[in-house]
Amino acid sequence: MLLISYGFGLFLAALVLLYYLVPGRFQWVLLLAASYLFYLIGGGIYILYPMATTVSTWLLARRIGRITRQSKEYMRKQEWTRQQKKEYQLQVKKTQRRWMIFGLAFNFGILAVLKYTNFVLGNVNGLLRVFGADGEFALAGWLLPLGISYYTFQSMGYLIDVYYRKYEPEKSLARFALFVSFFPQLTAGPIGRYDQMNEELYAEHSFCSENLRLGFERMLWGYLKKLVVADRLGPAVVTVISAPEVYDGIYVLLGMIGYTVWMYADFSGGIDIVLGAAEMFGIHLAENFERPFFSRNLGEFWRRWHISLMTWLREYIFYPVSMSRAAKKLSELTGGFFGKEAARKIPVYFGSVVVWLTAGIWHGASWNFVAWGMANCIVMLASQECAGLYRAYHKRFSFSNAKGYRYFEMIRTFFLFACLEMFEYYSFGNVFLMFGNMVSTARFSQLFDGRWSALGLGRADLLAAGVGILLMFLVSVWQEKGRHVRRTIEEMPWLLHYGFIFGMCMMVLIVGVYGHGYDASQFIYNQF
Amino acid sequence: MKRLGARLLVVAVSLLILWAAQRLLEPKYMGRVVEGAFIGEYYQEHTAHDVIFLGDCEVYENISPVVLWREYGITSYIRGSAQQLIAQSYYLLEDVLREEVPDVVVFNVSAMQQYDQENESYNRMTLDGMRWSPAKWKAIEETRVSDEHMVEYVFPILRYHSRWQELEDDDFTYFWNRRQVSHNGYYMRADVRPAGDFPTARRRADYSFDERAWGYLEKMRSLCEKNGITMILMKAPSLYPVWYDEWDRQIADYADEHGLAYINCIQAVDEIGIDFSQDTYDGGMHMNVYGAEKMSRYLGPMLQNVYGVKDRREDPELAAVWEEKCSYYDVCKAEQENEFAETGYLSQFSEE
Repeated sequence: MLLISYGFGLFLAALVLLYYLVPGRFQWVLLLAASYLFYLIGGGIYILYPMATTVSTWLLARRIGRITRQSKEYMRKQEWTRQQKKEYQLQVKKTQRRWMIFGLAFNFGILAVLKYTNFVLGNVNGLLRVFGADGEFALAGWLLPLGISYYTFQSMGYLIDVYYRKYEPEKSLARFALFVSFFPQLTAGPIGRYDQMNEELYAEHSFCSENLRLGFERMLWGYLKKLVVADRLGPAVVTVISAPEVYDGIYVLLGMIGYTVWMYADFSGGIDIVLGAAEMFGIHLAENFERPFFSRNLGEFWRRWHISLMTWLREYIFYPVSMSRAAKKLSELTGGFFGKEAARKIPVYFGSVVVWLTAGIWHGASWNFVAWGMANCIVMLASQECAGLYRAYHKRFSFSNAKGYRYFEMIRTFFLFACLEMFEYYSFGNVFLMFGNMVSTARFSQLFDGRWSALGLGRADLLAAGVGILLMFLVSVWQEKGRHVRRTIEEMPWLLHYGFIFGMCMMVLIVGVYGHGYDASQFIYNQF
Repeated sequence: MKRLGARLLVVAVSLLILWAAQRLLEPKYMGRVVEGAFIGEYYQEHTAHDVIFLGDCEVYENISPVVLWREYGITSYIRGSAQQLIAQSYYLLEDVLREEVPDVVVFNVSAMQQYDQENESYNRMTLDGMRWSPAKWKAIEETRVSDEHMVEYVFPILRYHSRWQELEDDDFTYFWNRRQVSHNGYYMRADVRPAGDFPTARRRADYSFDERAWGYLEKMRSLCEKNGITMILMKAPSLYPVWYDEWDRQIADYADEHGLAYINCIQAVDEIGIDFSQDTYDGGMHMNVYGAEKMSRYLGPMLQNVYGVKDRREDPELAAVWEEKCSYYDVCKAEQENEFAETGYLSQFSEE
């Protein structure tokens, strides 16, 4: 079931009604049943995959939790020296790590096999061809279970947290199943943390019209971004980026900007729908975007874009990897050759490379995404290396602290991000070729040479998308100033508030790209 | 209380705006394509009909109810639309029976050859015009194409919203009232394009009709029988698409088996007097007004003498109603004839 479908609207409306009718203690049970129904409708038999992840993670976390409890009790009874206690704890941790690694291997193994087998086979076939071998491995025809990347990452985050004793494991399998499969976030995230979700997820919620209103408004905003902006620009953008031999010059620039806006409107719109739907049940999921295009550098950008994934990668990959024994060894080894300063930086570099490699491969099973991840990593590390230079520059030139310069930095970050996105849709060699082509041959007159008309974006479409983008920009400016937009609108006189909402409804209803004859494109981030 | 009243008023105004937007965005079918308006025009009828014709373009372009009235005193209506499926014809018959019980139902059998709809817009042209009833609901359920949704029929704005980019003068002109475009369901064309060559009929591996089509034909027959209506099967004299002998035999056998009349007009072209160099406007696929009038003169005596349909010209109320219809018909026909004589084409139906 797509978030953009009449079925989803009906499903959600019926569920909200039921949710506030059933006794509070059964509300989470209803959500669990609804989530499984949602998955069954969208993924059919593939529901067995999230079920396997749920059961395995729950069992292993319980096992790890039990070991922690038992070891604590055992230690309390012993009259051990500090050293003995330390040795025992190390032993316990070792056992627990084994269980955790087993859980990670099992669940990431499922994800890896289903998502990356064809990528691996494709590369092996390529190598075989290079070496002149006859025949090749047939590619697997597996379908990817709905939301597999999201629920796997979410569950594994939970397992690692339990291992690190951040919180107690969940006792009830059913309650844990709801955490893994809560239907609004199943298809597009955000990747939630158990300790941030559990309280609201299982709590009794009495009917609150404000939750419904705010949730609906958030969803409406998401639909506006998705249907008015993203799905209007999407087909034209895809045409441009998938035919570099036709769309060169100024179209490379337009494709770059269009792709970035399209992706943001699509992904953040989807997240708005997800967060709004959850809010209707009184459940507030973590924000996944914080106006990334207001970032002044790429590092800040990645703290504001797809926050849940980047946080996950930081907490569960960057820190463990950069503090791992391997990183230490590498650091010592490098220190021997390049000195202390280099040795200090190596764990960070090592952690960053692994993080961006994972981020790349998470986004797609292709070398494009690996290249995209590595390109981001290089820019991030280079800018980190230049931090001293930046500081000196800002100190030396006072204009660099002015407001206007901040705007320049934001625009620069936007274009930097957009340029790096080129690695996602052009082949590695083509990225530099197309970039060079854009810089050397882009002319405004190319917009009138007939290629634009083939994109199917008429004046009315441009106007509609333009109004949508302008609204997105104004709302972001408002939020950036610390205003809670929906609350501010709520506080307006009733008629004005109503007018706003009704106007938005009409805009989505009439100007939105949906319905018969239009193949509702899935959210870009649904494929993960 | 005052506050509640104000809020209710605002909600009512919102609904009104929504309704107005929907009304504006719905296609009006007042220009080049008028077929989508035919089904809805039936509900403007205030008098009953003795004969109801059901089917696709082969009925609404080939029979003139005005001639049936003027020359035989037969009151009739054509409930047909472009690519109207047999299931839709059946539910339109159910719809008719909510209003009236005719003496005779004539069903054009060409729809037997294709059970599933190819193009969603044909569905909309037939189904949008139907008034809401269980028959309409069932017609939509039975015939909608895979990506059509019931909710888009209930709230047509969900289907037609994208027309905001292509609104025309007609959408504003006919916002409140639409002009009458058919003559009791008949689509008038007074232009002439002689029949040409058609592709040779291709042999088919299987000439049997879809079981579901047979099912609806049987349902239609049962419904007529239950209501004491005489049902006649007809195949209009269109030269193309091909009506295979194998199909003809199956229909003839069915008619024999159930004691129904089956009139295959293709075999009676000479008797009807059709001149394919004069009586068709699109090269032989459909009759123009001259061919349709000939067809009506062929069917009229048959309906009257064989099936006992009464001559009602003596009924003053009916005579008054039909007088108006005849005048409108004559005016339209004269206008089209003049335009065609002067320009060689009819601008309303021309793509230029």
